[in-house]
Amino acid sequence: MSKSQFQRGQLHRIRLHVLPTQRFKTFSISLYAGLPLKEETVTPVALIPFVLRRGTAETPETIAFRERLDNLYGAGFGFDVYKRGDSQIVQFRMDVINDRFVSSNEPLLAASLKLLGEVLTDPATDDGKRLKAKYVDAEKVTLRKRMEAIVNDKIRYAAERCIEEMCHNEPFRLHALGQFDDIDGITAESLTAAYRNWLSQAAFDLYVVGDTTLEEVKAIISRTFRLDGGEPSPYAITPPASAPDKVRTVIERMDVSQGKLNMGLRINTSYGDDDYPAALMYNGILGGYPHSKLFLNVREKASLAYYAASRFDGHKGICTIQSGIEIANFDKATDIIEKQLESMRSGQYSDLEMNQTKAMIANHLRELKDSANEMISFDFNAILSGKERSADELLQQVEAVTAEQIAAVARKVELDTIYFLRDGKEG
Amino acid sequence: METLAYPGVQETLYREVMPNGLEVVVLPKEGFSKTYATFATRYGSIDNRFAVGNGAPITVPDGIAHFLEHKMFEEPTGDIFATFASQGASANAFTSFDRTVYLFSATEQIDANLETLLDFVQNPYFTDENVEKEKGIIEQEINMYRDNADWRVYFGLIDALYHVHPIHIDIAGTAESIRQIDKETLYSCYETFYHPSNMFLFIVGGVKPLHVMELIRNNQARKSFEPQGPISRFFDPEPASVKLPRKTAVLPVSLPKCLIGFKENREPLQPDVLLRTELLTKLMLDSLLGSSSPIYHELYDDNLISDSFGHEFNSSEDYAFSVIGGETRDPDLLAARLREAIDKACASGLNAQSFERTKKKKIGGYLRMLNSPEAIAGEYTRYRFRGADLFKLLPIYESLTLAEANKRMREHFDWGRMSVSIVAKEG
Repeated sequence: MSKSQFQRGQLHRIRLHVLPTQRFKTFSISLYAGLPLKEETVTPVALIPFVLRRGTAETPETIAFRERLDNLYGAGFGFDVYKRGDSQIVQFRMDVINDRFVSSNEPLLAASLKLLGEVLTDPATDDGKRLKAKYVDAEKVTLRKRMEAIVNDKIRYAAERCIEEMCHNEPFRLHALGQFDDIDGITAESLTAAYRNWLSQAAFDLYVVGDTTLEEVKAIISRTFRLDGGEPSPYAITPPASAPDKVRTVIERMDVSQGKLNMGLRINTSYGDDDYPAALMYNGILGGYPHSKLFLNVREKASLAYYAASRFDGHKGICTIQSGIEIANFDKATDIIEKQLESMRSGQYSDLEMNQTKAMIANHLRELKDSANEMISFDFNAILSGKERSADELLQQVEAVTAEQIAAVARKVELDTIYFLRDGKEG
Repeated sequence: METLAYPGVQETLYREVMPNGLEVVVLPKEGFSKTYATFATRYGSIDNRFAVGNGAPITVPDGIAHFLEHKMFEEPTGDIFATFASQGASANAFTSFDRTVYLFSATEQIDANLETLLDFVQNPYFTDENVEKEKGIIEQEINMYRDNADWRVYFGLIDALYHVHPIHIDIAGTAESIRQIDKETLYSCYETFYHPSNMFLFIVGGVKPLHVMELIRNNQARKSFEPQGPISRFFDPEPASVKLPRKTAVLPVSLPKCLIGFKENREPLQPDVLLRTELLTKLMLDSLLGSSSPIYHELYDDNLISDSFGHEFNSSEDYAFSVIGGETRDPDLLAARLREAIDKACASGLNAQSFERTKKKKIGGYLRMLNSPEAIAGEYTRYRFRGADLFKLLPIYESLTLAEANKRMREHFDWGRMSVSIVAKEG
């Protein structure tokens, strides 16, 4: 039970990870493709999945492509583009029900993997070579709208702006969706070249969880993915950056009712490090939960906010704080949050805080096993970081963390950036 | 305790009504680590005028059900989140139009967590001081939603559709309405709606039904509740017309958001008819406007909609309305194009193949939903409160016919009962 139960294999450039289980009514499939975040490639790479999801060589019309999904009993099909550490990850996800619940003419897992294989390796083209120009043009518009829409969600906008400011000298400043000004210049030709390069360079990992086996999955994809030979690419690990000498404060004005106070901290510990479990505890005591210092002190004691929390990005080694406050309360809230950081540094954690946080992290790690997609995401951490650590092992390590180990993490933590989104008025 | 087997979806439920009227349903999930429990009352934002038995009707401030939800977490011993955290449970609550739900998810100490859930919800503790303190927090929650364009356009639509029905009131109320809330009003709402006979407990996960039922039976036997007469809710008659054909709000958004909705005006339906009508309407809307429909593709190709375009249908005994739309470059053009396409479909009827395909998609979506304990608990409770059974949906889906869907389509789309809600930036 302590080691992960994924069966591992490989087909050309794709690493295969299959978890045979009868616990779910579905097959869950995830395909990850990762490349280092780079200014030159971030935008075309972000656009690739938008275009690929429009159709395949076999079903080039989008409407026919989506009808195929409907006929697979409404197979879930989606994609996402995000950052993990200094990598840009494109993820395709499919969820299809197990055939035993319905009377289907074709095996649903095989049909789903075939469709995914077509999406990845056999897209709709104009002339057998170039990605369909109509789709490239339409999805450029979609990508542009998606980028512009980030500002609509002020919580997310403030969180992303804080990271952009904090990491202005690192690849991590780049948005996973790319750079607005680079969209215009993309053509069907240039995107096809980017797509070919992506296929030959990216790190590919295919996960399947459900009532199947590695042999079955491998047999299906060797028939349905049109792959060239080669070996899988590894993920690059980048060392953490350090904070500036002085905390940077960035204030941005916009027509908002509520101020968004965000902070970026360098925690200088990442997923692969031995003190990662202690860093998880650090974040949990500080602001990961409703029993944490931030929630108790900013919300419950001072009534300053509805939400006040922290989030730890273990792949980038940073921790971010987010809170929504009355604009006039900026100084008061900043002061309370900084006091919490100080109390973390001085090692003031009660037994209650320690036990509650351990229990919450343990609960989260145990719950993973009830969700196919959660198990996949957790396992993928090992691929990204090169550190094999099962959920059970991590759980045992968290249980063993001492207050002194958390304090050691806290002493490494540096406040880097304070970002405040406020109304347009002067004041 | 009664046993209810559903071989079609391979699930078995255990049900018991406690002597004090509390109904409990347990769904054991073999192999699951986690247990997810929801404790729900038939009490939401629309219940603002009511009476018990032969008592005189009382009217309460807007947002009080949600306020009460916040206050339930406070116990004389402190915040109940702390207790849950010590027991490794992640707890939460939410208030909707017609219900308030308290929940936890845990992998260990299930008995203790169940007792905590029952005990804190059945033990109100309101003081003048703690009620006052909550107002600042909720005001920030209201401000957070005011800046949220999706929320504003959605509630703007309901507000445009309804003259008097309290569904048009914001669930959290307003800064002014919550100022009128005091501990006496909270207690009187609590005593009315948190009586066990008005509540429902659903437990799903790795549990043993006999053991769980005994624990709940003993827990409830330790508490005394005065028997309570039936609750009457009073709603002023809602005019058939919409309140406003068009409503606009100004927010800094990248693209306008536009929703159109149709309000139905009908006599209250029997639970089985209500359920069938709901499933049929959703199927009809998806066949007509879903992501594999010709309308969707024409609008997408003309850059009038994006991936955010969607539709939903909300119905209960005394209200029913649809919501259609998303972000768009031109709200009025989108509304006009939808009207043209819907009129055409009403004249020709739905495409028979598309109807069958969408039915398959809905069945697949339903079965996929049954993988998620959270979704099962939420949906089971929602249907239960309307006298329906989530696990009996499969045969209903299978029996829906094209003729019925066409009739429903022509009945639903009444242009005299349509409103448009728009959120756009200034100018």
